[in-house]
Amino acid sequence: MNDQVNNSDAKKINELIHDARAPLNRISMQAEMIKLVLENNMPIEKALEAADKILISCQQCSQSLEHIANKKSD
Amino acid sequence: MLNILLVDDDEEFTSVACHIIEFLGHDIMTANSLQEAYQILENNDFEHIFLDFMLPDGSGLHLIDYINKSDQTPYITLITGHPLVKGMLDSLCGPKIDYLAKPLQREDLEEALSHKSPKATNKKHNSSLPHKHFGCLIGESDAMKALYTMIERVSLTQANVMLMGESGVGKEVVAQAIHSATNKVNNTEHQLIATNCGALTKELIVSELFGHEKGAFTGAIAKKEGVFQRAGDGTLFLDEVTEMPIDMQPNLLRVLENKKVTSVGGTKEVAVNCRVISASNRTVAEIAEKKCLREDIYFRLAVFPIAIPALRERKEDIPLLAHTFLHELNEENNRQYQWQAVQLQRLMDYDWPGNVRELRHAIHRAFIMSDPQSTSIELPTIFRSPFSSISESSHSVSAGQTIEDVEKELIKVTLKDVNGNKSLAAEMLGISTKTLYNRLHAYGEFKE
Repeated sequence: MNDQVNNSDAKKINELIHDARAPLNRISMQAEMIKLVLENNMPIEKALEAADKILISCQQCSQSLEHIANKKSD
Repeated sequence: MLNILLVDDDEEFTSVACHIIEFLGHDIMTANSLQEAYQILENNDFEHIFLDFMLPDGSGLHLIDYINKSDQTPYITLITGHPLVKGMLDSLCGPKIDYLAKPLQREDLEEALSHKSPKATNKKHNSSLPHKHFGCLIGESDAMKALYTMIERVSLTQANVMLMGESGVGKEVVAQAIHSATNKVNNTEHQLIATNCGALTKELIVSELFGHEKGAFTGAIAKKEGVFQRAGDGTLFLDEVTEMPIDMQPNLLRVLENKKVTSVGGTKEVAVNCRVISASNRTVAEIAEKKCLREDIYFRLAVFPIAIPALRERKEDIPLLAHTFLHELNEENNRQYQWQAVQLQRLMDYDWPGNVRELRHAIHRAFIMSDPQSTSIELPTIFRSPFSSISESSHSVSAGQTIEDVEKELIKVTLKDVNGNKSLAAEMLGISTKTLYNRLHAYGEFKE
């Protein structure tokens, strides 16, 4: 019974980690986008747009981490 | 340029990945679900597909099934952010399928698209390979651990280092390790410049070390910086320093003492600030006895001398080196050879007089000789280095030895040369195997 509970918790935590990686992936790719813009003198608006998206993804990532923390303390 | 399909339900990710992949010079289409991907695949051919493992209407594996049934044979890179899936994908990967773990970077995409070798993108996840200390040194023996400690200590200083060790022990690799450790300690990215003092003629050596001005001598058509200047604040590696002509050594001493160089034909002194790592395959006793290096230069160069152990002194590291070398060859040549325990034991039983260089060479040769259809590597029946036979032949006969002593020594040397194979040894000695066994019995050296 305990094993089943532990397995279910582990599954839930893995899902939450997966959810946290999605915004991290967006942050990583948007940062690459900013590098491309700066290295190739592309319009600065594209870099600003990417930076805004990074900020949003940071908030999403933070929320996902909070969920993980709450799950662990349950 | 490649035609690429990206299948992922994260629209922001697909949008930005599209920009980056297009920038890399490829054509790309995107799908946010399996159904969308099926429709696109009906009317388009792709050379590479990036595929999210978990999609809203099914798994990426369904799409792989669909592709396997079609005429298309694209490279497929699975993308996963799920920790449990990574282990599973390791076993799934083949010559045309690999995987990337989120979060992705541009270089991950470039590497996956390079198609250099199967599973190239898995390199960073391969934890079964031996750890490379300082990014380049392999070995967990006590001798190597002592070496790592010395490298760590000296990297905290700017002291000149002299590396001593037999040919093939990896002196340049140790120099690279000291250089990398120093850069890490100081958070710098200085350069390592290497030059071989034994390969330069007397006429060229001053120009190579200190540089020359345009027109300084016949053939000096342009100004050239010497290696001391090129090394800047980094490291200058002087290989085979004891082979430098003795009458050229005072020039080197002057630079080591004053930390200033004047190029050939130049008038201005330029300050130099690099650490000098020198190397020699002679022992300290040999250096002193043969006077191949001036005493004053020796003490300037060998502020911190390091002796690199021969491979036979750290035999437990041989399997680690063998695994690494074979893995590198497999990656380069798209093969899947593996070691058997008995083969690794054979490698450990040999003395490797040519050290790591000889081991690498022997593995490379065995790799070439092995059957490409098989996964097992074929080692030669015997390992034999031309250099070992020279050194062994120097143990020749001396007055006062009995014929029996000489015969016993000859049998011992021959058996060692053929790794204990008695049939081969008997053949080489020109006697029957039975006679060889009789002799070994008589010497009390025969063990069943």
